[in-house]
Amino acid sequence: MGSILELQNVSSGYGEVQVLWDISMKMEEGKLTTLIGSNGAGKTTTLRTIMHLIHPWSGKILFRGHDITNKSAHLKVALGLVLVPEGRQLFTNMSIMENLEMGAFSDKARKKMEGNIEKVFELFPRLKERRNQKAGTLSGGEQQMLAIGRGMMAEPDVLMFDEPSLGLAPILVQELFGIVDRLKEQKLTMLLVEQNVHLALTVSDYVYVLTSGRMEIEGPAAEVQKMDKVKKAYLGI
Amino acid sequence: MSINTLAASIIDGLLIGFVYGIAAMGLTLIWGVMEVINLSHGALIALGMFGALLAVQSFGLYPYLAFILVAAFGLVLGIIVYSIAIHRILDAPDLTTLLSTFAVSMIIIGAGTAAFTTSPRNIEFSLGSVNVGSSIILGTKVVAAIIAIITTVLLYLFLYRTRTGKSIRAVANNRAAAELMGIPSTKILALSFGIGTLLAMGSGALIATLFPFTILSGSTYELKSFVIGVLGGLGNPAGSLVGGLILGFIEGLIPNFMDTSWTPVIEFALFVLILLVKPQGLFGSEE
Ligand SMILES: Nc1ncnc2c1ncn2[C@@H]1O[C@H](COP(=O)(O)OP(=O)(O)OP(=O)(O)O)[C@@H](O)[C@H]1O
Ligand SMILES: [Mg+2]
Repeated sequence: MGSILELQNVSSGYGEVQVLWDISMKMEEGKLTTLIGSNGAGKTTTLRTIMHLIHPWSGKILFRGHDITNKSAHLKVALGLVLVPEGRQLFTNMSIMENLEMGAFSDKARKKMEGNIEKVFELFPRLKERRNQKAGTLSGGEQQMLAIGRGMMAEPDVLMFDEPSLGLAPILVQELFGIVDRLKEQKLTMLLVEQNVHLALTVSDYVYVLTSGRMEIEGPAAEVQKMDKVKKAYLGI
Repeated sequence: MSINTLAASIIDGLLIGFVYGIAAMGLTLIWGVMEVINLSHGALIALGMFGALLAVQSFGLYPYLAFILVAAFGLVLGIIVYSIAIHRILDAPDLTTLLSTFAVSMIIIGAGTAAFTTSPRNIEFSLGSVNVGSSIILGTKVVAAIIAIITTVLLYLFLYRTRTGKSIRAVANNRAAAELMGIPSTKILALSFGIGTLLAMGSGALIATLFPFTILSGSTYELKSFVIGVLGGLGNPAGSLVGGLILGFIEGLIPNFMDTSWTPVIEFALFVLILLVKPQGLFGSEE
């Protein structure tokens, strides 16, 4: 009930190499779900599979109850499924403005483009100052801000982040989680992949833990936080 | 040799340089967007020449109307060629796309030879001439250059001012990210190949108003496009125009000092030199 995005026994991988084994997840509408796991566990692969950047080998992906397993990425975006990818993936040869414009490519996002650009600039005033600068010449932190802003331009129903805090200074990480918190207040459904497990657990509602491509643990954040296994492996306590 | 003759011959070269420029833009646009070296480029230029010939001789069209028609046909043909011969092998090793576009070239040249033989043709058409000192500059060359400039400006406005144009640049920059923004990358790739073909065939239609040609003539212009691409940086339309002008300048200059047959020697020496010294092109940025 109430789940907006659901993975049912999804397996996938690269070429002959299987990475994900029979993964199932449910994202509740308006909730923040976090996916954690050590390096190479398959977190990015999970997000790439959801978006159909790599094709699932088996299993189903449902969006609002509809099977979208084999829809291509750009069609999923039109439905409202948006990923801020690992490593930013900006259009480095294009300006900040153009990057934001491309973020609002889908029909429904295009209508609200002007207002959303203002919102992004409000969150990240630095981007406004540099609006005509090429994205490739921005600092790492600024690029990350732009990647997040570009994701917000798409009018997402589900916004997925792949390690958004990577490369940000501690103060900006705090700011980032502030933004995530604010989006959460606006009842935006989010799926967060984070290395910064401690912070991620404090803001999230529900947690999945991926170990070597298999879903090992799941549960409400407050409970998962208390598990010895999680404390040891991810929180360093 | 008078300074007037020299000036006239350089102006002549520069005018043709603009046309070389749009031919090269077709090649570099396709390379820039999908990293495919289009070996059917020359054959498509030749097809543009014969398209114009057909339109003028068989249907009595004005040559510049024929240019528009041929360009439009090029857009459609390019989209079809992309769907049949390019799309499925886009992520295959480079050699595969080389062979595939070469096959397209062989098909066009084979069919063209069967239909038109390889004897030279030309479009009977004159717009008078302008005198520069004791030399003359043909009106058709001036108009061809103007059309090439307009084409370049339109291409620029399209790529930098329209949403579809910007999404072509986005796909060129990062295809996966473009998909993630909701841009239908397959359609954009097909459109880009169509525009590349439009430019190739359009330039052919313009060249056909200037010089005699056969179905094999395209290869010369394909080679020039490669030289220009390397001069201006592959994947950079503005560079293509400047590269075209440089090539045109050399072609205007050289016959004043040595036998014309030295022109290709010097052009290709320049080609090799730039590849060795600045492989990203004179105006290409390092990536
Ligand atoms: N393009 C690829 N081709 C082949 N194998 C890949 C590819 N991308 C990832 N892998 C492999 O898939 C496994 C999971 O990678 P993935 O990127 O999903 O991990 P991750 O959980 O996101 O790790 P990290 O925390 O380091 O980002 C790894 O073993 C990796 O080597
Ligand atoms: Mg990852």
